Amino acid sequence: MRIVLLRRKKPLKYGSALTIGLSLALGVVLFTVFAWIIGLNPLLVLYTISSSFVFPGTVKDFLVLTLLGYALLVAFKGSLWNIGAEGQFHIALLPTVYVTLICFFTLEQVPAYVSVAVILLSIVLATIAGALWGGLAGAIKAYAGVDEVPVTLILNYIAYYIGNILILGPFQGKYVYGYKRTDMLPDPYRVSIIVRVPSTGNPLLDSVFAYVRELIMYFAWILGLLVVVLLVRWLFNNTTLGLRIKVLGSNPDYLVTLGYDVKKLTVVTFMISGAIVGFTAALYFHGYLYRLEYPLEYVSGQYGYLAILVTWLSLLEIRLIPVSAYIVASLIMGSQRLVALPEVKKALEAAGFYGVETSFRLLMFGSILLTYSIMRFLQEYELKVIRE
Amino acid sequence: MTPEAFLDMVIGILPAFATFYMVALGHSIFEKAGILNLAIDGVFFAATGAAVVGAVGLGNPVYGSILAAVVAAILGLFMSFVLTYLPISHGAVGLSLQFLGYGLGIVFGYSVRLAVGAIYSYAYSRDAVYEITLVALAIGVLVHLLVEKTKLGSAIRACGENPHAAAALGVNVIATRLIAGALGFALIGLGSSLFVLLWVRIWDIKTYTLGYGWLAFAVALAAGRHPLFLIPIALLFGGLVDLQTTIQARLKVPADVAKLVPFVGALVLMLAYSMTRLRRVFAQPTSLGKPYYKEEKSI
Repeated sequence: MRIVLLRRKKPLKYGSALTIGLSLALGVVLFTVFAWIIGLNPLLVLYTISSSFVFPGTVKDFLVLTLLGYALLVAFKGSLWNIGAEGQFHIALLPTVYVTLICFFTLEQVPAYVSVAVILLSIVLATIAGALWGGLAGAIKAYAGVDEVPVTLILNYIAYYIGNILILGPFQGKYVYGYKRTDMLPDPYRVSIIVRVPSTGNPLLDSVFAYVRELIMYFAWILGLLVVVLLVRWLFNNTTLGLRIKVLGSNPDYLVTLGYDVKKLTVVTFMISGAIVGFTAALYFHGYLYRLEYPLEYVSGQYGYLAILVTWLSLLEIRLIPVSAYIVASLIMGSQRLVALPEVKKALEAAGFYGVETSFRLLMFGSILLTYSIMRFLQEYELKVIRE
Repeated sequence: MTPEAFLDMVIGILPAFATFYMVALGHSIFEKAGILNLAIDGVFFAATGAAVVGAVGLGNPVYGSILAAVVAAILGLFMSFVLTYLPISHGAVGLSLQFLGYGLGIVFGYSVRLAVGAIYSYAYSRDAVYEITLVALAIGVLVHLLVEKTKLGSAIRACGENPHAAAALGVNVIATRLIAGALGFALIGLGSSLFVLLWVRIWDIKTYTLGYGWLAFAVALAAGRHPLFLIPIALLFGGLVDLQTTIQARLKVPADVAKLVPFVGALVLMLAYSMTRLRRVFAQPTSLGKPYYKEEKSI
C-alpha cells in the first residue's frame, strides 16, 4: 500500500471554504495544545476564541484588516509578495503627522471646510507616500532583480527607524511633557464619531447596540472601505491593467511575448498596493491612533503583518477578503480576551508568561498560517491510497 | 586611528561577526538545496530562546548552543520534509514558521529571563571569542569543502539546480534536502546562540523586532551563499551592527540613525550584488523556492 499525490482533474467542491475552515480549525487546535502544555484549560481557550467571533470589539480590527487585505491582494494577485505593508503603513503616517500636527496644528476649533481640507490633504499625501514606498520595493524587484520579500522586509525596518528619528526630532510634540511622542490629533481633524449607548440590561440588545455603536464610530472607515472594494473589483473585473496583473501572477512570460513592459507593471502593481496601505494608514490615524509614539516597532498594531494572514486566508479571492479579515480580527480579540481572563492570568503567571501575551498571538497566527499553507495543496491535489 | 585601535575594533566585532557568519552560513547550505528560507528570522529568535534554556538549565553555554542547534535543526527537518514532499509554497511555509518561531522564542526564553534575570554568568567568557571565531571559520572551511568537494555537496547543489534531473541521476532528493535542512538550520541555531551567549549576553523579548535574521539573509544573498565570501560580508555587517553606539557617538546622530545604517547597507549591498556581474557569478540556485512535484508522487 502506498499513498500517492495526484493533481485534481476537477476543482474540489467547496474547496475554498473547506481549506479555510480546516486550516483554521487545525491551527486553533494546535494553538490550544500549546496553551494546554503551559497549563491553560483547553476548553476555556476554545470557548474564549470561538465566542470572540460574535464580539463587537472586532469591528475596528476587521475594517483595518479588510482594507489592508485588499491592498495586499492587488500585489499577491500578480505573485508579487508585498510583505512590506507594515513599512508602507508607517511611512504613510509621516505626512499625515506633518500635515495635521505640524503645518495645521491647532488647539482651537476651526471652520468645517478647513477640517475637511486638512483631512483630505493628509489622506492624499499618505496615499502617495504609501504608493512611493511600495513603488520603491517594486522598482528594486523589477530593475535590480532582487527578491521582493527581503527587500520589503528590510524597508519595513527602515520605515520604523525613519519614523522614530522624526518622533524624537521635529515631530516630538510641544504638549507631551517630554514624552517621546507626537502631540494628540486635534479634535477638528478626527473622523471617528463617538456615540454613547446606555446599557439596556439585556445582554443580546446590548451586544447589538455595541455593534451599531462601533459601526457609527468607524463610519468614515466604512466609506473608505467601500471606495477601496469598488476600485479593486473594478481594477480586476473591468480593466486591462487588472488582467495584466493577474497574468503577471500566472504567466509573466506571456506578457513579455505580447510586448508588455513587465518591469513597469511590477512597479505599478506595488504602487497600487502601497497606495491602499497609505490610504488605510491615514484613516487609522484620523479615526483611532491620533498620535505616534516612540518606538514605532513596539507600539504599532503590526497590522501590516496580520494583513498577510488575511490575504493568504482569502485564497486571493476578492469576496473572501472580508471573511478572512473577520476571522483574523476575531482571533486577535480572542487572544486579547483570553489573556484578560483571571484564570488565564493566573495560569500565565504560574508558567512565567504573564506580560508576554504577544507570544500567544504569534503562536496562534503561526499555527494557523502554517496549517493553512500546508493544507492549501488539497485544493489542487488529492491524496490517494493505492493497494498493490 | 592607530593600528592598535583598529585591531581592538576588529576584535570587538568578532562576536557579531561569528553570529552573522554562522547564521548566514547555515542559511546558505539550506538554500543551496533549493529551499527558500523565509523562516530565518523566526528560527533565529526561537534558537536564542532555546540557547538560554540550555545554558541556564544545564549550567553551561555549550549546552545552550547545542540545544539551540537541535531546536533549529528540528525546524529545518520539518521545513525540508514538507517542502520536498508536498507541492506547497516555500514562501508561505517559511513566513508561517517565522511567526511560530517568534512565539516559540518567547515561550523558551521569557521564563528563563524571569527566573534568573541577567545571563552573564551563564554566557561564554569574553576570552572564548577567539576560540569560537576560529571554530566558526573552521566550520566555514569544512562546509565549503563539503559543498564543493564531496558527493553529498554535489547532491545538495544538484537538488538546488534541478531536483528532477538530480533524482533521474540517482540522487535521493528528500534525503539530501533533509541533511541540508538539518545541517543548515543547526548552524543557524548555533549562530543564534552566539548572539545571546557571546555577543549581547542578554536575552530580551524585543530581539524579535531587531530583524537580525533578515540581515543574515542579506549577508548570505550578497555573498552568493559562498562559505568563504561570506567572511568579509559578515565582518562588514557585524561591524555595522556592533558599532552602532560608536557610529552614534562619533557622528553625533540619534540611535535610530545608527540602527538604520545596517538595513540601508543591506539594501545597497543587495542592489550592488544584483546590478553588477556578481549576480551572474553568484547566481542563486535555479530551482530555489520552486515546489518539487512530479505528476504522480508517492509519499
